[in-house]
Amino acid sequence: MNMHRAFARRGSKAKWWVLIAIVVLAIAPFILSEFYLSILCEALMMSLLALSFNMLFGYMGQLSFGQAAFYGMGGYTVALLITKLHFNFWLSLLAAVAVAGLLGGIIGFFCVRLRGIYFSILTLAFGQLLFFIVYKWHDFTGGDDGIQGVFPPDYLKSPVIYYFFILLVFLGVVFLLWRLVNSPFGKIMQGMRDNAVRTEFLGINIARYQLIAFVIAAAIAGLAGAVWVPFYRSVAPFYLMWIKSGEPVMASIMGGPATFFGPILGMFIMTFFHAWILGFTHFWPVIMGALILVVIFFLPGGILGFAQGRMTNRRKKGPPSKG
Amino acid sequence: MFLQAENLVKEFGKLRAVAGVSLGVRKGDVHAIIGPNGAGKSTFFNLLTGYHTITEGRVLFKGAEITRLPSYKRCQLGLTRSFQITSIYPKLTVYESVLMALLAHRRMTLNFFASASRFCAEDVWRILEDIGLAEQAHVQGDSLSHGDKKRLELAITLGNEPELLLLDEPTCGMSPEETETTIQLINKLSQEKGLTILFTEHDMGVVFNIARRISVLHQGQLLADGPPEEVRSSAEVQKVYLGGAA
Amino acid sequence: MSLDVLFNQFMSGIARGALLFLVASGLSLTFGVLRVLNFAHGSLYMLGAFLSYSIWKHLLIPVVGFYVATIIAALLIAAIGLVIELFLLRRLYSRGWPEQLLATYAVVLIITDAVKWGWGGEFLSIPRPKPFTGAVLLFDFPFPSYNFFIILLGLGLVVFLWWLVYRTRLGDIIRAAAHDREMVSALGIPIPWLFTWIFVLGSLIAGLSGAVSAPYGAIALGMDIDIIIECFAVVLIGGMGSLPGTLLGSFIVGQVYAFGIMIKPELALANIFIVMAVVLIIRPWGIFGKPER
Repeated sequence: MNMHRAFARRGSKAKWWVLIAIVVLAIAPFILSEFYLSILCEALMMSLLALSFNMLFGYMGQLSFGQAAFYGMGGYTVALLITKLHFNFWLSLLAAVAVAGLLGGIIGFFCVRLRGIYFSILTLAFGQLLFFIVYKWHDFTGGDDGIQGVFPPDYLKSPVIYYFFILLVFLGVVFLLWRLVNSPFGKIMQGMRDNAVRTEFLGINIARYQLIAFVIAAAIAGLAGAVWVPFYRSVAPFYLMWIKSGEPVMASIMGGPATFFGPILGMFIMTFFHAWILGFTHFWPVIMGALILVVIFFLPGGILGFAQGRMTNRRKKGPPSKG
Repeated sequence: MFLQAENLVKEFGKLRAVAGVSLGVRKGDVHAIIGPNGAGKSTFFNLLTGYHTITEGRVLFKGAEITRLPSYKRCQLGLTRSFQITSIYPKLTVYESVLMALLAHRRMTLNFFASASRFCAEDVWRILEDIGLAEQAHVQGDSLSHGDKKRLELAITLGNEPELLLLDEPTCGMSPEETETTIQLINKLSQEKGLTILFTEHDMGVVFNIARRISVLHQGQLLADGPPEEVRSSAEVQKVYLGGAA
Repeated sequence: MSLDVLFNQFMSGIARGALLFLVASGLSLTFGVLRVLNFAHGSLYMLGAFLSYSIWKHLLIPVVGFYVATIIAALLIAAIGLVIELFLLRRLYSRGWPEQLLATYAVVLIITDAVKWGWGGEFLSIPRPKPFTGAVLLFDFPFPSYNFFIILLGLGLVVFLWWLVYRTRLGDIIRAAAHDREMVSALGIPIPWLFTWIFVLGSLIAGLSGAVSAPYGAIALGMDIDIIIECFAVVLIGGMGSLPGTLLGSFIVGQVYAFGIMIKPELALANIFIVMAVVLIIRPWGIFGKPER
């Protein structure tokens, strides 16, 4: 029974953190300069990308090195529809999610036939294929130049107002993902992570369920990219590159892949850190690589994983005795 | 016959692990498969459950052929197995593990929004109480003792609400007390719930205690197949397995 | 589409396949024994190419300069492999494949920036060394004689690896360890040192292939990812951890690439994906691979 109370206590404590975070995020645009507001917007959308990555990694046990490709494709879909076809903004967003999800379905179909390391490298390969296609197809995608002049509708042009739109999307997706990981499907995902054979012998078609998860993750990544691009007003091929795919990986590992909020924390740290670092160097991959190694060797479980471990230890040891 | 194996053969390269075994399991029976090490018991189990592909032969369950069916489909038909080396969920709690088995069996897993703990609570607790793990419902799998892990393994298979339960060495590594508890549990499952049970065992005490039918495998072939007294008194079985007079 | 054109493309494919085998064999060897897929294998390949370029430029020795630079570069890469194994991988053997993969992925990120820092973002190239500067006429089509050098090296490596794996005591240990690591350890063979040596050998092969590839193609950033994807295609098609599979896979990928160039040069790489897709549907464990169960 002690365990029950401990869990309940931890749950309500987490609720306070969430509430504080929402309040802080709500007043942020009135405190921050436009520059930092822009970084915050990027952090929010990249956090969705990180969450989509961790849905597959922390919750399902598969490492995807190509998530950024779906983020980029979402962005490109919106960019192309708005600039070339003058599509309605909202329909473009919808189309972007659909395109990302569809690509997730096609790529996922092949990837889920493999497990572990092989799955991971295949995701990298497909991600690079998408990058390569976008990069080379100059006539359609603008190739190396990318696409500029992607504007949201007039009523969303103000950065502060768009920020609130981004915040709404962020909170909405976080809520849906939270429900997902606690739903029956979420439990099966965790089952596949912990013991795929056992789950298979409970009657679950592993490939099918992994494909569904992959499509959902791709759609979320696509939505994140689609919402980000009109804010930034442009998109470029590097959004789909394997190095960009490394960012949600690093953020999740650093924040704590075994927790729900770890990737968000990691991505916030990463985005602001990156913005600061860009001030004096463009050598970002080496920093990402070094940080990944630091986390693997010195902070396994990431920041939140480490914090959780400390709390559990303290609980196990109990209050200090009086002597 | 509830489950029928016809001339099952499994070859690993040049090794014939199972060399043409035909046997049938009757509905409601408690049927044991015994044999010395290397007789092919586990491989035979793996053929029945779809863990290995069948080289030759057929398997029928409830009259329908399942030879080429993937393992997850056989589970959906009501054929569930436990593993000799416990195969549980290290990071999930006892409660969650059993819940997952129930959700999987009842095809409730494509729900992406509702909270999983809302479902099947009564049935989960019932199974946990039957197995004796109710007190440890919120303990993580890898924190359990070995004996409890084996019980969790059994609880998970029960959560899958099987019609035919295949147990691979259910008392392997158990203390005498735990073995006794497991025997009683298997009896209860057979008598009260009407489960058909097929199990492999090394512990002859367990086998002759609860099995109503025994099949003996030796070097991948069926040596004897019948009620316990018949098998016990068979000269061939004694020669090969029981090592002389029983 | 005359026969001589086809033959020419076929030989191009053989050359490319040989180069792929050079690289992929190192990857396959490491994976077969250590059960670790060294993501950074492609990075070592790329670094080998860049290093050999710089060494060659510094040495300024005519004719032999290229070969000397190649050997030095390969040895340097082997040393880097030693460092990676000793300080990174060794501590991760007890952890799961995700940590091992992430660690080698981190090395890829680090090396890719290191190369950018050391050599900038430009394309570099080395002219083909003597005596392979010219071309040989195959049915009236010029075929670079350097390609024969690569093919010879590939064959040489096949023979060397076959001898190593099937005719030496080390080879027996390699094959045993690939089957049953614990048994080998129980027989008193120091597994950590075995792993180190295999990893170093794999790295040496990677560095050597990179240096050899320099006069064949361009030396550029992005080589690392491109080659690791091609190697992956090779082992996927041929079968994981199987040296004959790697040979067959290299041959197939080489041919697919060569004939793909003929049809539509920009999409040559995409054809590999089509073959991978087909293999994944029909036989996910590769031609010479074994299904997991």
